[in-house]
Amino acid sequence: MSKDKEIVKAEQSKVKKKSRAQETWRRFKKNKLAVFGMILFFIILLVTILADVIVSYDVSVTQVASERLQGPSASHWFGTDNYGRDLFARIVHGARNSLLVGFGSVIIGVTIGGLLGAVCGYLGGRFDAIVMRILDSIMCIPSAMLALAIVAALGTSLWNVLMAMTISSVPRYCRIIRSSVLGVTGQTYIEAAHSCGTPDFQIILKHVLPNAIGPIIVESTMAVGSAIISAAGISFVGMGIQPPAPEWGAMLNEAKTYMTMYPYMVLFPGLAIGFTALSMNLMGDGLRDALDPKLKN
Amino acid sequence: MGKFVLKRLLALIPTILIIVFVVYFILDLTPSSPGQLILGQMATEEAVEAKNIELGYDKPFLVRYVKYIIQLFQGDLGTSWVTGKGVLESVFARFPVTVTLSAGATVIGIVIGVLLGILAAVKQYSIFDAAGTTLAMILASFPAFWIGMMLVILFAQELGWLPSYGADSIAHYILPWFTTACAFIASQLRMTRTSLLESIRMDYVRTARAKGQKESVVIYRHALRNALMPVVTMAGMNFGTLLGGTVTVETVFTLNGVGTLILTSIRSKDVPVVIGAIVILAICYTLVMLVVDILYGFIDPQVKARYIKN
Amino acid sequence: MEEKKTLLEIKDLEVIYQTDEATVHAVNRINFSLNEKETIGLVGETGAGKTTTALTVLRLLPERTGRIKGGQVLFRGENLLDKSVAEMRRVRGAEISIIFQDPMTALNPALTVGDQVLESLEIHNTAGKSRQELNARVDELFNLVGIPAERKTEYPHQFSGGMKQRIVIAIALACAPQLLIADEPTTALDVTIQAQVLKLMENLKEELGTSMIIITHDLGVVAETCDKVAIMYAGEIVETGTAEDIFNGKEHHPYTVGLFNAIPNLDEKEERLRPIDGLMPDPANLPKGCKFGPRCPHFTEACGIEMPYIYKEKEHRIMCNLFKKEAADE
Repeated sequence: MSKDKEIVKAEQSKVKKKSRAQETWRRFKKNKLAVFGMILFFIILLVTILADVIVSYDVSVTQVASERLQGPSASHWFGTDNYGRDLFARIVHGARNSLLVGFGSVIIGVTIGGLLGAVCGYLGGRFDAIVMRILDSIMCIPSAMLALAIVAALGTSLWNVLMAMTISSVPRYCRIIRSSVLGVTGQTYIEAAHSCGTPDFQIILKHVLPNAIGPIIVESTMAVGSAIISAAGISFVGMGIQPPAPEWGAMLNEAKTYMTMYPYMVLFPGLAIGFTALSMNLMGDGLRDALDPKLKN
Repeated sequence: MGKFVLKRLLALIPTILIIVFVVYFILDLTPSSPGQLILGQMATEEAVEAKNIELGYDKPFLVRYVKYIIQLFQGDLGTSWVTGKGVLESVFARFPVTVTLSAGATVIGIVIGVLLGILAAVKQYSIFDAAGTTLAMILASFPAFWIGMMLVILFAQELGWLPSYGADSIAHYILPWFTTACAFIASQLRMTRTSLLESIRMDYVRTARAKGQKESVVIYRHALRNALMPVVTMAGMNFGTLLGGTVTVETVFTLNGVGTLILTSIRSKDVPVVIGAIVILAICYTLVMLVVDILYGFIDPQVKARYIKN
Repeated sequence: MEEKKTLLEIKDLEVIYQTDEATVHAVNRINFSLNEKETIGLVGETGAGKTTTALTVLRLLPERTGRIKGGQVLFRGENLLDKSVAEMRRVRGAEISIIFQDPMTALNPALTVGDQVLESLEIHNTAGKSRQELNARVDELFNLVGIPAERKTEYPHQFSGGMKQRIVIAIALACAPQLLIADEPTTALDVTIQAQVLKLMENLKEELGTSMIIITHDLGVVAETCDKVAIMYAGEIVETGTAEDIFNGKEHHPYTVGLFNAIPNLDEKEERLRPIDGLMPDPANLPKGCKFGPRCPHFTEACGIEMPYIYKEKEHRIMCNLFKKEAADE
């Protein structure tokens, strides 16, 4: 009899053990919007990777005087710009820049901000107070202006835009990650680990990170979307990646002059930015609900 | 309360020191020659050199930084290297446009965002909720400046209802306001919805229902009031951010605001204007957040008690 | 002894929570009744369906997930489940009140405690009393629960947990309800405060002649306050009867026996407490037949197939097949 019960108990705990990642994925799959976002993202990713297969880079930068400002047609799906460049090719090849800046700045920013935030949150005390003071002050500088100033100082290139985006966003990531680490370190199970004499680094690795990582992933996913928008904004005001290199924001900057006569020049780059950001936001939203189903009911 | 405000204002001083340091440092990464800017391309090399020395530009970074700070705390933001006008004067000349733009957008954002957010939360899982959250998702994903351009194409070009550029009348501001408000509506809507959903689940809301209170009063009197805190913070933060974040929208509608001033000054390496404008924006941001914190006191008695104690 | 009038009668009540993930059978066809001026204790572990029962009586189940599948809640002969939303609002707070478990979160942090007590009075102010009269009543209520009336302009965060629970009680009693449901009213409080609050409730009950449902997992609380007891397990009432039946009766449900064995006894020297083996079944996946079967020391094959037999002796009811055999023997 009691043996049977042991088995029952073991099986119950096995059911519970179905890993959190699996559980999250199962719930994520159920969310239609999130899955739509994911499919959208994979399409964009595929286009980015296969850009050269879809249409050669040369097409995106070659100026054809005879084909200036042509509306969308069979030969130019998205039309051509004022230099006669094919907009479809420019958008396909521009994806790489946007995704690079978006993901690059968030990954680097979150890593730096995360390390700093985790250390601050975990150590607390004077160190934490000073770092937070400094970061709060920097956050008073409008981040768009900070990024613009950095790009101006470093020069306008893809890497400098990436760097500017990263630097101007580190304080925010640091704050977010610190607060989620603080949320976890306050928990009783951390105290329990302390009382067992578990060394600090092991607590951070085994208890703090796994439990704080959920919100961080969610925030990062959404941040990629807004980083792509911000980077496009920098290019839009003429400070980012410079033409003839294809970049969505810069394309909008060029289109501005012609927007009343040739609205398609505005339409397609904007849709490209929007759908890319949308895919990230939908996934981020879905992830949040999947990680914390309590929020949904 | 007075003590609390004073404390916060005093905290501005280190903030300004740090901000100026950071911005000054960044702008100093590439060498600048104020003499050349002030005297123009035609000036002789000696004259430029002399001007640079006069401005202290032969001195190391830290010395110039300290000198700038001292001047700043005497109320002197310096003069523009390009136009020769006072920085304070140049910035304030641009301020009305930016403030009008940000304030209008904030009001639109709060009204539409909060109302739709309440609707979405109260009628959770209904068509209103789905429509609201989808709208928020779209507004948050598409860049404001692009939405602005599309609005111009639609309302100014195709329909001819509204002017597409300039800042001469209220009508000129309608498109920029809504453009700027887009991202704001999105964030307010989401914040209101989440926050209200959270407080609707609180025990005290159940208590109110158990008293036999009407559902509308339960939402309005009990849930909403407690849900407002994060909404107010977000509104304040958004307004603060907008003050310095309207540069793309200003560019779309060719409005001469602080954003474009900083942008052109960054391009022409007009260091005093850039730093001066950013410091002023940062001070505004801090003041806005201070107002938000004071507003808290009216919403949350716990916070009020804390202020009075401090 | 005067004739007892039935105040509340719950018949075959069945409640589920329907989520995307699962169907949770929270309350499974329970029956009990309560007379005027009586107190019944609903006893059971966390998740046994006690709070769900209470919320169902007030029709305060979570709108989206909670569903009443069947049964009746007869309050003074009227089925509350048939009432309209507006009619139900007139019952809540006025005729049936509830005290929730956690006083720390039960009060609105943004309103003064006085306003929160006043709110109850205002909602049910059918007599059209003036503001002054209502305010006087608020003062009276504060005095009744032992808080100086001057403190009514303060906010919840300025009170301790025990004081907050007193305010919650004042809110619940504001309109002199006929039935008071107390959902673990003392669980969140310190032991010394628990006794005070219990005493207060007991006194008020005597004074006002209110009937009470006390939800608790603490048999000590039940022994002190209740006339009747219903033991709940996995959404079922496995044993019910007078306090006398439960505490001194001969026959018991194995679960009740287990509950009593899990209480430390100072008179007998025992090295260890005897806990009940196993865990409560997942209410989304209940066992067939007797819900307690998998943990029961007297489990027989029959228990896994058919619904348990109901033993009856006056008011004492036990849902267990153990007594079926005896019934057959006799």
